[in-house]
Amino acid sequence: MDLLRESDALHARVQALARAWDRRIAAPESFDAIATDIVRHQMRYIPGVRRLIEASARASLAPDMIPAVPVDAFRLARIAAHPPELDVVRFRTSGTTSGAPGVHAMRTTETYRALCLAMGRRALFSAWDGPAVVVALAPAPGATPTSSLGFMMAAFMDEFDGRALGGEGVFDVNAPERWLFGDDGVHLAGLRRAARIASERNEPFVVLATGFALVALLDALDGATLGEEAPTRTVVMSTGGLKGRTRTIEPSELTRATARAFGVPEAHVVGEYGMTELASQLYEGTLPGGALRSARNVYVAPPWLEVTPVDPATLAPVALGDVGIARFVDLGNVDFPLAILTEDLVRRRGDGIELVGRRQGAPLRGCSLAIEEMALSPGPVAS
Amino acid sequence: MTERSRAKERVRALVRAARRIADPNDELGREARPLLVASTGLSPEGVELALAECLETHPSEDDLERLASSVTPASRAHVVLSASVFVAAHRAIALGLASSVSVFVKPSRRDPAMSHLLARAAPGLFRIVDQLDASPSDVVFAYGSDEALGAVRSALPDGVRFEPHGTGMGICVLELPPDVPGAELDRLARAVTSDVVPFDQFGCLSPRAVLVVGSEVETERFATSLAAALAEAELRVPRGRIPEDVGVAAARYRDAMTVAASVLPAGAGCVGVARDGGIAVIPPPGRNIHVARVVDVGRTVEMLRRWVTVFGVAGSAALSGQLAELAPEARRVRPGFMQRPAFDGPVDRRHKRQAPGELRHQPY
Repeated sequence: MDLLRESDALHARVQALARAWDRRIAAPESFDAIATDIVRHQMRYIPGVRRLIEASARASLAPDMIPAVPVDAFRLARIAAHPPELDVVRFRTSGTTSGAPGVHAMRTTETYRALCLAMGRRALFSAWDGPAVVVALAPAPGATPTSSLGFMMAAFMDEFDGRALGGEGVFDVNAPERWLFGDDGVHLAGLRRAARIASERNEPFVVLATGFALVALLDALDGATLGEEAPTRTVVMSTGGLKGRTRTIEPSELTRATARAFGVPEAHVVGEYGMTELASQLYEGTLPGGALRSARNVYVAPPWLEVTPVDPATLAPVALGDVGIARFVDLGNVDFPLAILTEDLVRRRGDGIELVGRRQGAPLRGCSLAIEEMALSPGPVAS
Repeated sequence: MTERSRAKERVRALVRAARRIADPNDELGREARPLLVASTGLSPEGVELALAECLETHPSEDDLERLASSVTPASRAHVVLSASVFVAAHRAIALGLASSVSVFVKPSRRDPAMSHLLARAAPGLFRIVDQLDASPSDVVFAYGSDEALGAVRSALPDGVRFEPHGTGMGICVLELPPDVPGAELDRLARAVTSDVVPFDQFGCLSPRAVLVVGSEVETERFATSLAAALAEAELRVPRGRIPEDVGVAAARYRDAMTVAASVLPAGAGCVGVARDGGIAVIPPPGRNIHVARVVDVGRTVEMLRRWVTVFGVAGSAALSGQLAELAPEARRVRPGFMQRPAFDGPVDRRHKRQAPGELRHQPY
């Protein structure tokens, strides 16, 4: 089957690019070379992408010119190069006001895993050698993960820890003592126990968390800290907004309070930016001694991901330093649209991207309704 | 003379004022047209269309009686207007006049022309104000986004009766049997178009989506016919000025639909076509309309009902009955009549609103 052969070859090329970067050796080929071939592949196998490119006045297969797919499209239909029967996972986006999720269907998770690990290693695990104790303030993803974030967290536990959390049992990525946040809130005792284990082993302690879960942790601590249990080599990965589900807290205040709760410098709280529609992530490079360097709120992309701030109306790149909406070209999206357009406002700063906020949708004034407000059920299968 | 009779007389005076504005041969009518074009952003043809077909200038006595009985008398009435549909000021002020002899109107800052024209044509009937100053036992009729209405409500003192009219829209529901004749599809498409074009679809009576109960083939055929009708209408009544953010949202809708389903150009706007079923999304205004085949019309309407002000219905009595049961507060008319509700009370009869669905947290 041409589709699978072509797709497999592209996945292999992307993985080779990530592997070379991970090993700090020269890239086997350029970003543009792979991107152009992925676009050709998607023109052939994703009719929606082909229609969008053909409808564009600026139609070109060059990575910086191809039209990007608005994220709303994924709430309307399944969009992928491969048929649904080849899906091995279907990651769901967070719902809109109406609760309608988008879906990122993958026929292989190997590339996603490889990209997560390569970038995660630099951002979170490069400051110190050796294994770490890794836990998450998130629900366990289970056997059939529907959250790409949960999948990534599990991959980190497997790759950078890989041992039973205490005792002599075997590693179980879904062990409840690693997933310390659920419907009943934060499992504070479990978090303290994991921190103690890291201290006893004299290993780094890496806590993977959503902003929402961190707020819940702070509430559960009620002013207390984990300073007694948590080792000085504790790192907290913080991701995602609060999305109206919790009390309002400024990101800088959340960072400060989280650092205080774990008894570590604020630089040990590392922001991560990702979304279901992407196979790649960006990180703040604040961890002292880490391989990724950037200022607070400046997110660094890996070399297989290009982020361009573009004008919301013209979609042309904005001037350096100006704010635009984020246009992503993600080589990890081999079977899913390569170029993605979000409504997140970003600004280029040095080698990274500063997150400025989120652009408001179409106005709700008078009788108008925004597309995001009203996106309802996703369709069955369309391609 | 009873209070009801006096109330109706005040409304009749306002209708006479509206009649002068609608009349292109009246001096005020001539003066009104360029003012309304500048204030609303509609094209001159769009303003003319609204004055000719959507401004109620000859209500029946029965309608006046119903309008007067739709409100409760109050010491004073305050009317807070929005900018979406300029002729809506007429009905809104009429409701104020039906409820009180003392009426204070706060026009939209962005689109104040119609209120001022009515005030000039009916001096002393009501007062234009810059600030809302309501007291207990007054009534406030407020129009606008749900957020704006929330702000108005929160600023009111205790004892003020509040009658909000918030975010809403029209939806067409069409039953299209197999092999429906092309002429019938064209007739329906022209009717829906005549509902889309007024106010460039910025009104709460404007249809934003067509739900087709029928096959994929009929859905596609209707969408094609609708796109042609909208393109033809564009030549007669060009679309006016569209705010940049609405234009951006329209471009995003068009691109998303291009990828997920299909899009047909339709004059200055577009028709998104979801013939496979299951897709329901509301495009931004500006003559963009979503045509979706629905398998379970009840489920789709159930999701939409809190926003629906009016249904344009073509189909069986059973379908109309189903809609009446699902959304009893929404008006139901034939396509082509959505923008011309009787002058019998508020166009928006929804009085209970569901709270927006709780947001779920799942970062990605």
